[in-house]
Amino acid sequence: MALCAHCLLEVPEESAIRETIDGKESVFCCPGCRAIHGLLRSEGLTGFYARRHGWTPGPPETARVPLDAFDGAVRTSGRQAEADLLISGIRCASCVWLIERYLGKRPGVLSTRVNFATGRARVSWDPSETGVGDVVLAIRALGYTPYPPEALHVGDALRRETSDLLLRFGTAAFLSMQVMLFTAGLYAGYFQGIDARYAHLFRWLCFLLSTPVVFYSGAPFLLGALRGARHGAFGMDALVFLGAFSAYGYSTASLFLGGEVYFDTSTMILTLILLGRYIEAGAKARAAEGISRLVRLAPVVARKVVQGGGTIDVPVASLSPGDLVEVVPGERMPVDGNVVEGGSEADEALLSGESAPVPKTAGDPVVAGSRNGTGRLLVRVARTGGDTVLSRIVQAVEEAQARKAPIQRLADRVVRFFVPAILLVAAGTVLSVLHRGSLPHAALMAGISVLVIACPCALGLATPLAVLVGTTSAQARGILVRGGDVLEQAAGVRCVLFDKTGTLTLGRPRLTDVEGIGIGREDALRLAASLESSSEHAIGRAIAEAVPAARRLTVHGFRAHPGEGIEGEIDGVRYLLGRPELLERFGVPVDGEASRAYSAHSAALRTAVLLSDGSRPLAVLATEDALRPEAAGAVSLLRGTGTAVAMLTGDDPGVAARVAVEVGIGEIRARVTPEGKREEVRRARERFGPVLVVGDGVNDAPALAEADVGIAMGRGTGLAIHSAGATLMTEDLLRIPAFLALSRATMRVIRQNLFWAFSYNLAAIPLAVAGKLHPIAAAAFMAGSSLLVVGNSLRLRKGGR
Amino acid sequence: MWTTLLLIVVSLALGFAGWLLFLWAVKSDQYDDVERPKHRMLDDDEDA
Repeated sequence: MALCAHCLLEVPEESAIRETIDGKESVFCCPGCRAIHGLLRSEGLTGFYARRHGWTPGPPETARVPLDAFDGAVRTSGRQAEADLLISGIRCASCVWLIERYLGKRPGVLSTRVNFATGRARVSWDPSETGVGDVVLAIRALGYTPYPPEALHVGDALRRETSDLLLRFGTAAFLSMQVMLFTAGLYAGYFQGIDARYAHLFRWLCFLLSTPVVFYSGAPFLLGALRGARHGAFGMDALVFLGAFSAYGYSTASLFLGGEVYFDTSTMILTLILLGRYIEAGAKARAAEGISRLVRLAPVVARKVVQGGGTIDVPVASLSPGDLVEVVPGERMPVDGNVVEGGSEADEALLSGESAPVPKTAGDPVVAGSRNGTGRLLVRVARTGGDTVLSRIVQAVEEAQARKAPIQRLADRVVRFFVPAILLVAAGTVLSVLHRGSLPHAALMAGISVLVIACPCALGLATPLAVLVGTTSAQARGILVRGGDVLEQAAGVRCVLFDKTGTLTLGRPRLTDVEGIGIGREDALRLAASLESSSEHAIGRAIAEAVPAARRLTVHGFRAHPGEGIEGEIDGVRYLLGRPELLERFGVPVDGEASRAYSAHSAALRTAVLLSDGSRPLAVLATEDALRPEAAGAVSLLRGTGTAVAMLTGDDPGVAARVAVEVGIGEIRARVTPEGKREEVRRARERFGPVLVVGDGVNDAPALAEADVGIAMGRGTGLAIHSAGATLMTEDLLRIPAFLALSRATMRVIRQNLFWAFSYNLAAIPLAVAGKLHPIAAAAFMAGSSLLVVGNSLRLRKGGR
Repeated sequence: MWTTLLLIVVSLALGFAGWLLFLWAVKSDQYDDVERPKHRMLDDDEDA
């Protein structure tokens, strides 16, 4: 066996392509790899092979998107054209390096920038020299697959919004700092005396500096408030708008008519709230992008086998059940179906979370989106497009996310009545002052001053600030929260549903027992570990890891029998290791002690395998998927706070029951399908109230999305993480009760904040209406109440760690 | 008076310069990808 010089896959002797390069013979697994290797050599980019460390690119993917699909992605301006492309197959920084270098050397290409995090490339070129087709072909020539970006329009809009918010926030922050500087001078001057010229200058500077903040940074709030006003609904936007814009308007009027200015109030509230929105938008954009990337995993073009034996490229959408398609090594399965011919293995990590390749031979089912390994397969189409397992799961996630009613934030409910009330009071003040015979401008000032007093930063900041601090301190405790609404939802959770495998258990088996029959325990373990050392199966790895690599014996003629076990030769003896069925198939009787030990382990719900030398059983080895050590503690903490706890699993009831007893969970639902888990979430919600789901697999994704709060395990599958509102980065289950406590604390702080902001209003509004509130007292009130809210929110950072 | 004015002008100029720098950073997508740059330093340009 030789290794392919490009993709490092093993190449069987008979299909190897040999080529002499620089006096040395290189081996390739396929013409694609040879072509890429040649390309890199001719471009002087072989540094790629030196810089990757044990990373295997796999054979080039061969899915093809028609070239004209990219035309829509091109933006031309003058002598420069530009396009954003999505590139699949980027797995490490060397890939980025390679693509940037190679495209940079193409004639006419002006610049290339590949974003490693999102797999997007922005390429610009001179349209008179080259075109988008050449760029796409160049990327394909390297073995990566470019896609047109429209598949990502959702994420795109969110990304634009994020970058827009960042600009607005940054501008507001820079200018607010300057405004604060001069405002501090004005306040100091108020107490110590200040030259009228300076005071005048400072006020004007504040005015000039805060104008862009209000009209540029504050524009989204103005638009939001206007949109809301048209529907007769007042939300947070309206409150922020009233608070910031009335302070600004009042101060501007004072500038000409005389009086105090509160420019700092209007800029600070906008800055702080923009910061919260920016962080939230960034998290949302990343999540949306993750989901739409998954949908694109399945190729859009398949090679259909036509009568007479040849193949033609056809769009996947045109295939119908019963058609035959060819899947070459390295390609992703375009459809769900059954293997008709050929042998290979598939990486189905996207469904099971298990990265070990699953063997596929004639008759085995394959799922769309999983990646074919080293062999060519002929697949009979069973389901395509929207009916595949992958798209059904993604649909369930999207449906659940879309259907979930947007949470009506506590502050929004309050604001809805508060804003119209304040507007009425202000209007009433204007009328009554006019009625008493004052000049119109004085009446207007009295009205605006009511608005300034009534809509302080404190009320606008009460919720966003507490949520911001709560979110960041959750992150410091190892829980990544996607948005403030997750915290609000989590505070009300009445029931927690745990997935079993990978959530309550570690998700990887561990060797627990070795019993030698006729041979020593140590010898048996050493033989078994040696046999399993090249196995990819989770149980095989558990056995192999029990013995250090240096102490393992050399194995010849290793062969895997999918679903049954393995065989291999050590010191001339042919050994079998696997289920009793494997031994019996080779004529080894499983009886007596071996049979008894095997059934004992099975009864205790451990997975046992038998070792045999081809004539009799030699040993029984048992593995077990161990519970997370803190699982029971986390469950009892949750129950201590009066939260109902239950378990959902696709596993069979026996195993589920044992795990449930060990962690102290009374209620279990076993053998539940992914869609069934979603159903269970609904049922639990009807019984207990808001539901929290903790899971890790793609099969948990619909439940995670349906739940009021979904928490994905940090090492869970991508779909699970994108479906959940929060991710448990440290995989420590004890963080879950801590997180619930934190969200309850956050809600408590929000209520306190709102209470203080309102008390301030209740005290100040009558004074403002009566025109009795001294300007500097008003300023102190405003700063004081904001500080109170800020300080109260910061309390969330401490404790509970 | 003129020293104060000078200081004000200097502080405004510094703030403005910082703001321009920030605008440039956002416009040139510096905040788009915070993952790749930390790997970029590991690339050695043997052929550049």
